[in-house]
Amino acid sequence: MEYKNVLTTCPYCGCGCNFYLQVLDGKLIGILPCKSHPVSQGKLCIKGLNAGDFVTSKDRLTKPLIKRNGKFTDISWDEALFLVAKKLKEYKESYGPDSIAVLSSAKCTNEENYLMMKFARAVLGTNNVDHCARLCHASTVVGLVQSFGSGAMTNSIRELEDADCILVIGSNTPEQHPLIARYILRAKEKGAKIIVADPRSITLVQFADYHLRHRPGTDVALFNGMMNVILNEGLEDKEFIKERTEGIEELKEVVKKYTPEYVEQITGVPKDILVDAARTYAKAERASIIYSMGITQHTTGVDNVRSSANLAMLTGNLGKPSTGVNPLRGQVNVQGACDMGALPNVYSGYQNVVDEKAREKFGNAWKVKLPEKPGLTIIEMMNEAAKGNIKAMYIMGENPMVSDPDISHVKEGLEKLEFLVVQDIFLTETAQLADVVLPGACYAEKEGTFTSTERLVQMVRKAIEPPGESKADWEIICSLAKAMGSKEFEYVSPAEIMDEIASFTLSYGGMSYDRLQKGGLAWPCPSKEHPGTPYLHKEKFSRANGKGKFFGIEFKEPAELPDEEYPFILSTGRIIFHFHTGTMTRRTELLNKEVPTGYVEIAHIDAARLGIGAGEFVSVQTRRGQIKTKALITERVPEGMIFIPFHFAECAANVLTNPAFDPVAKIPEYKVCAARIEKVKVS
Amino acid sequence: MIESIRDLARKWLESKEVDAIFGLKEQDGGVAPYLFTGRVNGISELGKLTTSTQYRRLCYTCRPSKDNILSLMQRREPNMKIGIVARGCEERALVELAKRGQIDLEKIKIMGIACSQEEAKECKCERPYPNNLVIGERVEGVSGDENINALLSKSLPERLAFWRHELSKCIKCYGCRDACPMCFCKDCKMEQKIFTETGSLPPEIPMFLFIRFYHISERCIGCGECEKACPVDIPLLTIFRQLRRDMKDLFDYEAGIAVEQESPLLTTLDESPMRKEVTSGV
Amino acid sequence: MAEFEPKILAFCCNWCSYAGADLAGVSRLQYPPNIRIIRVMCSGRVEPEFVVKALSLGADGVLILGCHIGDCHYIYGNHRTKKRMAILERILGYLGIDPARVRLEWVSASEGARFAEVVRQFTEEIKKLGPNPLKEVRA
Repeated sequence: MEYKNVLTTCPYCGCGCNFYLQVLDGKLIGILPCKSHPVSQGKLCIKGLNAGDFVTSKDRLTKPLIKRNGKFTDISWDEALFLVAKKLKEYKESYGPDSIAVLSSAKCTNEENYLMMKFARAVLGTNNVDHCARLCHASTVVGLVQSFGSGAMTNSIRELEDADCILVIGSNTPEQHPLIARYILRAKEKGAKIIVADPRSITLVQFADYHLRHRPGTDVALFNGMMNVILNEGLEDKEFIKERTEGIEELKEVVKKYTPEYVEQITGVPKDILVDAARTYAKAERASIIYSMGITQHTTGVDNVRSSANLAMLTGNLGKPSTGVNPLRGQVNVQGACDMGALPNVYSGYQNVVDEKAREKFGNAWKVKLPEKPGLTIIEMMNEAAKGNIKAMYIMGENPMVSDPDISHVKEGLEKLEFLVVQDIFLTETAQLADVVLPGACYAEKEGTFTSTERLVQMVRKAIEPPGESKADWEIICSLAKAMGSKEFEYVSPAEIMDEIASFTLSYGGMSYDRLQKGGLAWPCPSKEHPGTPYLHKEKFSRANGKGKFFGIEFKEPAELPDEEYPFILSTGRIIFHFHTGTMTRRTELLNKEVPTGYVEIAHIDAARLGIGAGEFVSVQTRRGQIKTKALITERVPEGMIFIPFHFAECAANVLTNPAFDPVAKIPEYKVCAARIEKVKVS
Repeated sequence: MIESIRDLARKWLESKEVDAIFGLKEQDGGVAPYLFTGRVNGISELGKLTTSTQYRRLCYTCRPSKDNILSLMQRREPNMKIGIVARGCEERALVELAKRGQIDLEKIKIMGIACSQEEAKECKCERPYPNNLVIGERVEGVSGDENINALLSKSLPERLAFWRHELSKCIKCYGCRDACPMCFCKDCKMEQKIFTETGSLPPEIPMFLFIRFYHISERCIGCGECEKACPVDIPLLTIFRQLRRDMKDLFDYEAGIAVEQESPLLTTLDESPMRKEVTSGV
Repeated sequence: MAEFEPKILAFCCNWCSYAGADLAGVSRLQYPPNIRIIRVMCSGRVEPEFVVKALSLGADGVLILGCHIGDCHYIYGNHRTKKRMAILERILGYLGIDPARVRLEWVSASEGARFAEVVRQFTEEIKKLGPNPLKEVRA
């Protein structure tokens, strides 16, 4: 009998919790929290504690599948790879490399994302590679790079505990990042002031000193209002502004008109509360901003992000422990997938594809001429597919048929494709549309690294064998690249891939499996001796001139506002019991028991007016489509707003959402669109 | 002390007194439970056998099967004799598990180790030693608990306000239940919709955690794993430790001391056994 | 302001107190209308969770009425009830809920008058305690 515990990183959100996979004679029998881990400290949320359940689900894909006459049948790996390679080559040759698009995955390891982007660029010859970071934190990557020079969480999770003030905006932390919320609550116990800015009355509000319940989509006005108060009362950090930043005049000019009265008109936040909150934030010795998709998923996503950066810089809350601007990333490796360059415009380490030097560096190493033009983003891929310009797509570990906005349009695009390959662990809604499905291995069955939201790179260790003939994603990519004739994919292990990543990527330069086996390392970690960097921008910012930049940003309304026909504001998001498109969590017994299907949150007053009773079926409609779901009557949403969790394909919130996107980051506006809700008449 | 544990483990394995040693292993910069069989790296792997203040107990309930890890092992190889490095709380867990038909103590050899005074203080442990003490010096338990005193000095409305605050933090992870060696029910009441509304946060106050307080009340071995597993630091042990005192007070009963001592909930008011035909199937 | 009229839930054993309640009714004995009765097959059927659920759903007091010790139709059912309720009482106290809101009494089928008396006394006591504060927690 053999019993062992294999330390690994949780596959769900970006907290980066670790746990042990308990293995008895090669079978996964349970999850044991890891008490020595810096963030999780032996604690996990319900998803982490049940992360072993879906691994052994009977729905796992175990063989490559091919669709013949509308039905899937098994084929061998050799046949599958030969076919996919042949087809992709055909499209590359007859329509040019840009007729192919690739979706990489924030659920896969750094090594796999690196290989995927290498495959797209070096083998297929296109920059059309993107992943779901586009849909969650593209605004962060763009916005914080403009403000600070680096698009990641500036500080580390545990530092939150020692903050004096924490501003949580657009993040339902206790549900989406439970182990980060832990440190907010601990800070509270130590006397920190908590400011929650959220249209919904999330559970954290009970522990908050101020709740700024602003109208969805008015974040810029809210930030400007706070900065107006701070500047008027002389609470800004003049020395920090002088020494470390530029552009303050531009900011001052713009925020002048955002008086508390004006901001109250826009946001609905009473001016006294705004003033108090602004003072509290400004006067705190160490103030930290936490934000998440509540501010990024807007047509003004980049503006929102840069506004949060403005506020932090204005008060000198950067480059010190327990301060900073902290975007919480929602997928286990979305930080890593971005770092690895699974984006249409950059290689690993955010080295730009339009930068000739970078292109040459990677081109020489991979022995090919790399494409110069930045590729398409997810939304653009779907649009081009619908127009017939993208002919073939390769999707690894993503499920746009549930996760992307305006699903009917996504479906139109994917169905129009001549050839679709999906590589996943389950036959997802997206995989069902594929021509070829390749079975991947899940986190428990392969080796690699994940980069958590705090830039901490940690090991994922193999505990059990993948089911049936399924294979680790990195092995599949390597086999496919070889089948297409490349000689640059001869890796024997993920450790070797990490060595290649380290050699091309400064921030990962000092990383190797030897070091990571002993514990995580936070990037930047440029050399073998470097201990990693818990907080960024200590002495200077990462922008070229070392200074942080203020932007004067005017408030803009969301793309679609309620009107007579569609009088409600619809917002979407996640709940604690499920994860993303539900592929894993809906196959987990306990989670499914907690919340078996979707619902729409509606305020008492609206429900009463429309004659909707608790648990009754309603129809929710927008200009994109309609769904039928159950009403949950609650005080969590204010009057005039409804909220739908997007995990559930049978009542998919994204049938309704607006694909209008931020002009720079191309992130869609999941958080605001106009909707109508009515009771479904029982015949 | 660790050398004596390793030496004894080696002796037990070599003399075939046991087929395997269940203990903590140093790995990946931390420690984790491991079954030392001498088959992977021979007897030398015992060099990695260790103890830790982080993992004081080893026998967790595995989920989703809801079986204790030792039950799973024993079911797989019923004749295997397992030696286990056990502190006081671990031994109490083993006794309760055996009492409730989860494991076969006949096939388990306990290598009882004593906790140091310091370790006992950290856990506020009242009994920091096993009955089968083999290695280490027995130190006296800690009797006072300021958390309990603080709770008991509060008025009823103050207590309610206190718990209302604490339980509002709950994120329904079930971590306290998952960490408890005594939570092995196949059909857990905490998951049942008729008691606690599913899918809402915080879960019903006080019902959700009350279910554990009540169900574990007479079987709690006071290891404190529930509190350590709580991501929002709810002071669960304050109630459980007080309930351990209550059991002595009400029924003169202490969980985890002797397999023969039946749970007071399974005996009559004068503490004699209920007639078998009545209790069977309970 | 109108006098506080508590809501009281009574779990009555089919073999004794439920019949006792019946007898009280047939005998035209007056008792406060504040109680709602749920019939159970034995007081041992009453899980402590039932009591907490009743309190958190708005009951101001909960009565559990079973057979006298020695008279249980299932022999030891009421032994269990008594022990469980002792534990329940302690836990309620620690959580800040007055244990006096829950009372266990033995009432036989022939004790119609006793049934009425128990209900009267308990109702008076709950009136003194005032509304159950848990209602507010739930809201």
